Amino acid sequence: MIKFDNVSFSYSARQILKDVSFSVGLNEQVAILGGSGEGKTTILKLIMGLLRPDSGRIMIDDEDITDKTEEELRDVRLKFSIVFQEGALFDSLSVKENVAFCLREYTAKSEDEIDIKVRELLRTVGVEHALELMPDELSGGMHRRVAIARSLAAFEPRMFLYDEPTSGLDPVNADNICRLILELSKDGMAEEIKRGFMIVTHKVSDAMKVAERFIFIKDGMIVFDGNREGFLNADITDIRIFLSELNFCLGGGADV
Amino acid sequence: MKAKELLRELQDFYILSLRGLAGIVRKPFYYKDTIEQMDYAGAGSFVIIILVSFFVGMALSLQLSAELSRLGLKMYTGMIVGISVVRELGPVVAAIVFAGRVGAGMASELGSMVIGHQVDTFRVFGVDPVKKLVTPRIISSIIMLPALTIIGDAFALLGGYYITVFVSQQSGTFYWSSISDILIFENVFAGSVKPFVFGYLIACICCYIGLSTKGGAIGLRQSTTRAVVASIIAIIVTDFMLTRILLYVLGFSV
Repeated sequence: MIKFDNVSFSYSARQILKDVSFSVGLNEQVAILGGSGEGKTTILKLIMGLLRPDSGRIMIDDEDITDKTEEELRDVRLKFSIVFQEGALFDSLSVKENVAFCLREYTAKSEDEIDIKVRELLRTVGVEHALELMPDELSGGMHRRVAIARSLAAFEPRMFLYDEPTSGLDPVNADNICRLILELSKDGMAEEIKRGFMIVTHKVSDAMKVAERFIFIKDGMIVFDGNREGFLNADITDIRIFLSELNFCLGGGADV
Repeated sequence: MKAKELLRELQDFYILSLRGLAGIVRKPFYYKDTIEQMDYAGAGSFVIIILVSFFVGMALSLQLSAELSRLGLKMYTGMIVGISVVRELGPVVAAIVFAGRVGAGMASELGSMVIGHQVDTFRVFGVDPVKKLVTPRIISSIIMLPALTIIGDAFALLGGYYITVFVSQQSGTFYWSSISDILIFENVFAGSVKPFVFGYLIACICCYIGLSTKGGAIGLRQSTTRAVVASIIAIIVTDFMLTRILLYVLGFSV
């Protein structure tokens, strides 16, 4: 369980989050929506302990991580797998080396075992053919897929955190990434949720494809937190503007 | 910048510098990264250092020959070129070239890694970015800058030789014997200490500024510029302080 308790955060003089409170189970499928610069990515970074809040407490599985050191945060971070916007692959390493990074760093596997594992992971995300390519030779969609494979390499995360996983992608690639996100959260054909995820996006159509719970942020505060039906019927101007994208796609025009 | 912010930045800089240095003796060791950085810093700067040093040596020799011949003291050209190059110009010129090429590269590379969340990814994977990114750059700088300085000194003296012999029409044998006379422990030591200090400073300053990058392309541009400017100022100021200390320690009277 992730719990934010009156968390505030600011960059220099600009306040990003204002007394934000929410709780999310690690097996939930959550979308955090909001405009650019509203603090969506900041929430993911706070969960991972990459940023420290100015005030308030952050609890992960009833463990207060607010003041933990980098060393102490390591175990907490193992519960999550974060995929940053654009993938954040290491420029100087090939796709294979990127995916093998954690395997080499934290396991005693031989090079042959690492090679088999890397191929298996790349096959899972559908980019096995990119094994020897460098990150600058990959398309946007492949970047995200390799990043997802890398995040699965050495750890068994309980929850995925995706930062704008479909931004800058064409509709086909964006749809494929959404499918992959759903596949990875489910336990094979059992349709049972194995791992939850939190997806940060401003593309409401993608959020609709994957999430069950929706959190909307405006001016650093949560203005909506609820299920799909509640979100679709929310009487909040900014949400109506976001949803007009869906209506427009369905031929209904803007309904603000 | 407010005094409080400046103090915080200084504190962060000192902490990063000390942690980077401590990383040299603390596991894990990133040998491959260190070798890559040494190749980039050393082999990559080799030709530039040779070129710059050779021309600095020639210009210095020209100026000295012109002035000393008016006083009838042309025979001292080799000696003064030697002392200037070994004790002062060689280390400073090599360090400035190093800051411009390698330091700028460090700041822009680390800055782009920060912007692209690669540094955050290291932290997520439990890898200490200081050990992984800063320590290899410190090691490469404190090894390669002294090596480049020695090579630069040799080519500056060669440039001086060319002017002294072929332009100023002096004896080449006398030029080299003057040089060999001044290559005593005090002079060589005074010139040898500086590159190690400069290398450490350049690596720490450029890594710190690179890792503090904020924003996009403009932030990266500002970081790279700041890193080079701060490194050059640090080199010049530290050079003065080191010269003062070394002259005192080695017993030179001023």
